Amino acid sequence: MNNSYLSILDILVTNERVPCRFLHDLPKMGFMDPSAAEDDLKAGATLDVPLWLAENFNSSCRIPLLTVDLPKIYKDAYREILNADACTVDMQKLGQHFYELGCYVAKHDIKGETFRQRFRMLMSASVSSDSIGSIQPLSASERKRAAAAAATERALSGWLQRGDCPLTTANMVANHRKRKRAEMEML
Amino acid sequence: MFCEKVIELLKEAERNPETIDQYNDEKIRQVLEEMHSLYKMNLNDANASSDNRSLCATVQVRHTALERNKRCLLAYLYSRMNKIKTLRWEFGSVLPPDVRELLSDDEYQWFSKYSTNLASYMRSLGSDIGYSGIDLTENLKPPKSLYIEVLCMADHGKLELEDGDIITLKKNSRHFLPTSECQTLIRQGILKQIL
Repeated sequence: MNNSYLSILDILVTNERVPCRFLHDLPKMGFMDPSAAEDDLKAGATLDVPLWLAENFNSSCRIPLLTVDLPKIYKDAYREILNADACTVDMQKLGQHFYELGCYVAKHDIKGETFRQRFRMLMSASVSSDSIGSIQPLSASERKRAAAAAATERALSGWLQRGDCPLTTANMVANHRKRKRAEMEML
Repeated sequence: MFCEKVIELLKEAERNPETIDQYNDEKIRQVLEEMHSLYKMNLNDANASSDNRSLCATVQVRHTALERNKRCLLAYLYSRMNKIKTLRWEFGSVLPPDVRELLSDDEYQWFSKYSTNLASYMRSLGSDIGYSGIDLTENLKPPKSLYIEVLCMADHGKLELEDGDIITLKKNSRHFLPTSECQTLIRQGILKQIL
């Protein structure tokens, strides 16, 4: 499901920008480079373009139009930091979709090792009571995992305490109510 | 840059994965406009008499943007469709007016059709074991007891039970009811189970 045509997550990941160098002139495309004054995009211009665009025109394609460079988080400098201590990196700032984007662009496998190091952090974030502080440095997918882990933990402890699961309001109904109440309060 | 509007649209949808938002007519119109203008520019350049090679690349770039826009719009509609399916299972076959107005006309039509399909499927179930249909939206959790105590969360009006008794559901009133009769109301948030 992750890479399917209709996956919103995949769309957001391929919307991340990667640094590229253009190999040919592109007439009428000057507006893509905010610093360029001309109408045409000149060959040799370096520019951050969304991955979906770069993917279709990079050097392995039929019409090579640009060469793709690695985003800085996958480069040597950051690789060393990630190897040394991955937990110090604030993924929220540096790579919201670190793992997913890595699957597209990074050749060296730093994702597995990074995740191995960050796993403890993820575990502690999911049981921590200070949810804002501990979740802050996590990437989008890590946050999703942490939330799922916390929900499971709550469900388990609820079940252990009572041994009983009460019937509850359906998820969407409850959320809809909450939103409506918030909107009413704003008026 | 291309496709920025449509990404805003998707981010909006992604921000509230648990609820459905107002169908964003205005943004979709803007995206379609962008697609139209991309198409027109491409048509112009493709028909241009001087066929230099670099213009061809421009056309390719625009075409990729067009396809990308299409993909994003479809993903938006698809994610809404999945949410509408959930609406049928959680709110029941009749949507409250404030939920109804979040859907576009076409989406509401789809909802009605889905609802009818689901209902006729559920009616067709169980005929071999002597039931005339099974309501699949009931008993999503295994029932623990035949009767449960419930607290009424909203003024709902009269409710006729299977044995013919009529009770009035007033806010903050407590009732002791057969589980099978109040499950749906609990899921709709009108009743709450007291332990």
